[in-house]
Amino acid sequence: MLTFVARRLLLAVPVLLGVVFVVMLTVELIPGDAVALMLGEHATPEAVAKLRDYLGLDKPLLVRYGAYVGRVARGDLGRSIQQNRPVVDELADAWPATLELTLAALLLAAAAGVAAGVVSAVWPNSLFDGVARVGSLFGLSMPVFWTGLVLIVTFALWLPWLPVGGSGSPGHLVLPAVTLALPSIAMVARMTRSSVLDVLHEDYVRTARAKGVAERLVVAKHALRNAAIPILTLLGLQAGQLMGGAVLTETVFAWPGLGRLMVKAIFARDYVLLQGAVLVFALAFVVINLAVDLAYGALDPRIARQG
Amino acid sequence: MAVRARSMAVPAAMAPATLSADAWQRFRRSRLAVAGLVLVGLLVVAAASAPWLAPVDPGKQSLIEKRVRPGGKFLLGADEFGRDILSRVIFGSRVALLVGLVSVSIALGLALTLGCLAGFAGGWVDGLIMRVVEVLLAFPYLLLAIAVVSALGPGVLNTTIAVGIWGTPTATRLVRSAVLAAREAEYVRAARALGASAGRVLTRHVLRNILPTVIVYSTLFMANAILVEAALSFLGLGVQPPTPSWGLMVSSGRDFLLVAPHIATVPGLAIMVAVLGFNLLGDGLRDALDPRLRGQL
Amino acid sequence: MTRARIAILFLLTVALGIAGGLTAPAPVEAQKAGGTLTIVRPTDPVSLDPQLETTAPGAWVYFNMLEPLLTMDEKMQIRPALATSYEVLSPTKVRFKLRSGVKFHDGTPLNAAAVKFTFDRALRGTPPARWASLAGSLSGAEVVDDLTVDVTTREPYGPILRTLAMYCTGIVSPTAVQKMGADFSRAPVGTGPFKFVEWKTNTHVILERNPSYWGDKALLDRVIFKVVPEEGARMIALQTGDADMVLLPAPAQLLALRRDPKYVLHEVVGGRVVFAGMHAALPPLDDVRVRTALLHAVDRKAILENILEGSAVPARGVLAPSVFGFKDMQLDRLYPFDRAKAKALLAQAGFTPGPDGVLQKGGQRLSLSWLAARGRYPKDGEITEAIQAMFKEVGVEAKVQFLEWATVFTQFRAVTLNQHMFTLGWVTSNADADYSLYALFHSKQVPPTGWNTSRYANPRVDALVEQARRSLNQTEREKLYGEVQDILAKEMVWIPVYNTKEIVVTRASVKGFTVHPVEYNLWLGKVWLDK
Repeated sequence: MLTFVARRLLLAVPVLLGVVFVVMLTVELIPGDAVALMLGEHATPEAVAKLRDYLGLDKPLLVRYGAYVGRVARGDLGRSIQQNRPVVDELADAWPATLELTLAALLLAAAAGVAAGVVSAVWPNSLFDGVARVGSLFGLSMPVFWTGLVLIVTFALWLPWLPVGGSGSPGHLVLPAVTLALPSIAMVARMTRSSVLDVLHEDYVRTARAKGVAERLVVAKHALRNAAIPILTLLGLQAGQLMGGAVLTETVFAWPGLGRLMVKAIFARDYVLLQGAVLVFALAFVVINLAVDLAYGALDPRIARQG
Repeated sequence: MAVRARSMAVPAAMAPATLSADAWQRFRRSRLAVAGLVLVGLLVVAAASAPWLAPVDPGKQSLIEKRVRPGGKFLLGADEFGRDILSRVIFGSRVALLVGLVSVSIALGLALTLGCLAGFAGGWVDGLIMRVVEVLLAFPYLLLAIAVVSALGPGVLNTTIAVGIWGTPTATRLVRSAVLAAREAEYVRAARALGASAGRVLTRHVLRNILPTVIVYSTLFMANAILVEAALSFLGLGVQPPTPSWGLMVSSGRDFLLVAPHIATVPGLAIMVAVLGFNLLGDGLRDALDPRLRGQL
Repeated sequence: MTRARIAILFLLTVALGIAGGLTAPAPVEAQKAGGTLTIVRPTDPVSLDPQLETTAPGAWVYFNMLEPLLTMDEKMQIRPALATSYEVLSPTKVRFKLRSGVKFHDGTPLNAAAVKFTFDRALRGTPPARWASLAGSLSGAEVVDDLTVDVTTREPYGPILRTLAMYCTGIVSPTAVQKMGADFSRAPVGTGPFKFVEWKTNTHVILERNPSYWGDKALLDRVIFKVVPEEGARMIALQTGDADMVLLPAPAQLLALRRDPKYVLHEVVGGRVVFAGMHAALPPLDDVRVRTALLHAVDRKAILENILEGSAVPARGVLAPSVFGFKDMQLDRLYPFDRAKAKALLAQAGFTPGPDGVLQKGGQRLSLSWLAARGRYPKDGEITEAIQAMFKEVGVEAKVQFLEWATVFTQFRAVTLNQHMFTLGWVTSNADADYSLYALFHSKQVPPTGWNTSRYANPRVDALVEQARRSLNQTEREKLYGEVQDILAKEMVWIPVYNTKEIVVTRASVKGFTVHPVEYNLWLGKVWLDK
């Protein structure tokens, strides 16, 4: 098991290296000078040149890449160009917010999605099922930034129960988490419904029912256990999607997380900060994929044996 | 009884699915699928006949009539420049469809090339392509599109390219796994044993076999492409004014959210309806053509 | 009590009341000390040290902690701050006498050595301070004695006094800088009425009263600067009482706020002019008739009423009224909104209507390229779109490219500008006409050296701004700048649209606050809360 984990983590290293390289390359290609931008309209060209030199920004791409990778290996993510603050500090300030948001959305997606899916499967073609299926379709189709704005309008103008921007209280988390979770709830509900329905028709379930086990128990024990794998895969995929979707949600709700930080970094051409942020994201991705694989192993021993 | 395989894993060997008349029958029976077709059809009609369908010139400003509520002269209201939102929504369908179609083509073109290459060549070529795909997939999805647009500059064409590049990694993985599955299929091995060249096998059997996957995927991708284009325009990185883009309309409506909510909410509804249409259509096609794909797409 | 006693008591009370009323201080309401003022604004500072930060988010905060030698009051008059008097010794040297008994927040005394340290650090540090580029010919300071310092410039520099009154030239404590190193930028030590308490990144900065301030002690106990990026959320915070003061309020809500007695709208004409610039060296804009026609095609009033909705005032020239040397260029009289006139001028310039309504000459469409960013200045994107539509009405096609500020900025600073038009805003940082007229209109100040993005060239204007820069006679300078603006008015290369208004909204309980024409000068020393 430990070797499995170690091997997977090792395999992730080239991916991470690649991610850093792509970011550096892209920023290189994007017009815009972080230093000139930072110094603003009133800086002389000499001042800009001096600062660039001081920060070592004019060295060739590969040299900078090598230097960066070397530093990362030692745990140093550099200093952000804009703030001259260690990137690790900037990230440390921002990532808990994103983690909070993503976890909340994931839990919401898992709980609401699975619950709705199971109920739909157990009572197919009922009113609930109809509403849930249509609702899911809408949920999948609503652009995240629009949903956020609609919720802001609703809760600011008509139902002033919840705060509509920024962070601070647990109440501030509700709207952004719901907005982010909506498409995922829809997908999880659909997937759960179809997986559970499939399993409900399987032979062994029919046998179990014939033996007289109560309907609910049948569903709970057998159907969910087996349907767990595709649902889990989906949740794993969703976690990655949610982190990505956090970028938009954080922008709309002014949620001080990594996504917003990344967008700001791009606009300021602060590639050092951007690299650090993307690296954290990519790492989180890798960890999530690993966790999903481990969960598989726990649920289905056959897969674990394959390693 | 097989445990449902992980999505993206190699599906069990399958016989070629059919695009025949029964597929059409199955499609017709689903009301949701037909609804999807109707919605998409409406979108296409709106885009094609926009200049005749729209009541006024979508670019005509009338500052005095800014932010007028829906009703009367402005059926869906006016935006902050006094432009008719209904006309702008109708014209916006053109951008949505254009970006969707062209970006799907780009993504598919790249994915088919790379996926087939990876699936057939195997070895280090496969490894390299898949590593690149993984790197790209590890990026938060929007960031990649933002990066591409920032490098190329905004505008319809560049946004389209960005969305196309964004969709390529997932599509490549899909094509590759379909190719791998098809390669192992009995009938293909039989054909190869009989001496058919790789090229022939590729064109006659494999491509034909993955066609349903490609069709369903394209439709669902269109839905996502519209969303991504809207998101890019929302962030100010997409289409340029005065070309109406639904995402841009929602974005500019943000400033007036509390005083004139219709400016941001109406175009969002248009996005939702279009995306819904493609999702329903995609679902319907998948159920009609090959319900076994349900676990993967 | 007997009636007599009641009467005497009554008379005494009245007498005391009158006496009290006669001797009471001028403000009718008694100032109350204490309380916390919460301010919300959109972004977090990059740093609280002018060495690294000259933009508003940082300036708003450090303006109350770091003080310069001189200051500009709300009427833009120079007043003493840390310096009590000055004497011009030579065209390149001014002697300042410092206030005695002033201490930094860390207890160390203010002296000439501290001034020299501040300027050396800024001008000769590695890298030099952000504000060094704003300082013109300032070259340093020399210590004469403990409370006397000579400020020197490289060459005669007329704007020197206003330069030393800029918000970013605050004197820092040398002891603190040497002790704290890089951490100083996150916890500055100065002489101001407030001192630093804490900074939680992207959340808040907290200041508290400096009880040993040399001047009138601050009345507030604490000030909290909070970050709230969404305009709507800032306004909501004001309504719920989470915030007492909002910086950069939502223009669409200003009308309602003005009428609501729970809030006070503080506004004054500010220092930034936002304009649509024209590339005067790129045909067809090199023809002054075409430029004039474009000026006549824009309905500035409609833009100000419908897009800016009272959050700005019409621009009256290329400078803001608060700038020394400002002259009203009478734009409404010289270039009134007149489509017919615009079309006539374009016809004179040889353009005739083409098949789709766009003018053309010699087979070439009158199509202008336009570079703009969105959100850099208030409503810059909307103004660009509005003018684009107005141009269309007279047959001029404008193709706008909205890029993000980073890219736009890079293109503006490049050696060649490929676009005909651009949207830009300009603030005269030291409130002296030299800062703008020299950098914007001198023929040698073309990017990347200066900011003459329009590539305007007029030898007479060159001579005038050079002369005015070197003179220390302020009356003479004012006259010279007036002439420059007269010349510019006849061959405009800008379409000035609006002049910012510094607008701050506070709850009615916030008293003693006066908004300053310079956006960075957010003075909280006299603010008190009536709660």
